[in-house]
Amino acid sequence: MKLLLEISLIFAVCLAGQGLAALLPFPFPSSVMAMVLLFLLLLIKLIKPRQIENFSGFLLKNMALLFIPSGVGILESLDALRGSILPLLVICLVTTVLTFAVTACTVHGVILLQEAVCRRAEENKCGMSKGLAGKEDILHD
Amino acid sequence: MTEFFNSPLFGIILCVVAYQAGLLIQHKLNSPLANPLLIAIALVIILLKTANIPLESFQRGGDVITMLLPPATAVLASSIYAQIQVLKKHFLPVVLGCLAGSVTSVASVYGLCKLFGLTDELVFSVLPKSVTTPIAMEISGAHGGITAITVAAVVCTGIFGAVFAPLMIRVFRVKHPVAAGVAIGTCSHAVGTSRALQLGEVEGAMSGIAIGVSGLITVGLSLLL
Repeated sequence: MKLLLEISLIFAVCLAGQGLAALLPFPFPSSVMAMVLLFLLLLIKLIKPRQIENFSGFLLKNMALLFIPSGVGILESLDALRGSILPLLVICLVTTVLTFAVTACTVHGVILLQEAVCRRAEENKCGMSKGLAGKEDILHD
Repeated sequence: MTEFFNSPLFGIILCVVAYQAGLLIQHKLNSPLANPLLIAIALVIILLKTANIPLESFQRGGDVITMLLPPATAVLASSIYAQIQVLKKHFLPVVLGCLAGSVTSVASVYGLCKLFGLTDELVFSVLPKSVTTPIAMEISGAHGGITAITVAAVVCTGIFGAVFAPLMIRVFRVKHPVAAGVAIGTCSHAVGTSRALQLGEVEGAMSGIAIGVSGLITVGLSLLL
């Protein structure tokens, strides 16, 4: 029964996501809308993680399996692919490496920047508290 | 015999069996190249072709399995929620990294496609190839791309990411585990994330968060096109 409730709850969030996506004036993936909705529901604790733990664990663990039919569906579009398989492979490889490099550099750069800003702020705070301490010393004297 | 293959149960069982075979082969070979999804797709295609079973028969069961994709995307929210503390601490670097990576991915795919002189239909089919399949399929479909090609591009990209992640970390001298994780998730979504999890807990968690954040950013970018 617990599993049935979990499935219904997740399906209900997906259905709500579909309804919300349809209301938007621009095309927005309903599954992504459902993801945002579920995240918000978890944040405001209307849904607790343990209320969906079994079914979501099952879906996340077997996510790759769910893509098999779509992958097999490539048989349908072999004609569209013919002649462009090599360029598509090159495009996938080159852009993946490029995306990795830019992302890694950006994350590392921002982390270093944040640390530098934090250090400077701390030094300023230290300087200020030292100054205050000095004043207190004067008062005590 | 046609009735046997036309039952939705045939497609469902074939998928599960092929996936189990893929997992077994991955376990035996212990190579990232032996991706269970890729092996399963290849096995199903080979079986359908050699036994001369029409694709429509298989897809009756396939459609039932595909129906679970939206819920699977939705529950990515719970994996992000589970890592909310890590996300809070590194929120800005994670979001800016995903933003820079997603823009790079979309722009470089677009540029290279134009360079190779591919049709618009193909361009939109591969444009969202760095994000997780359900999101990529929706973006591709909304712009008139061929979703089957999108899935192929997404799977290829995922396998490239999973295979080359350790090499790329070394070549680009990525020392921070958060940077490595976000980069893997942004460039190669869930398949790359499975590799990131083997590299370390932080890498795995950050890669998982990047799937969702980059997916959302890429949806936003696709709206601009």
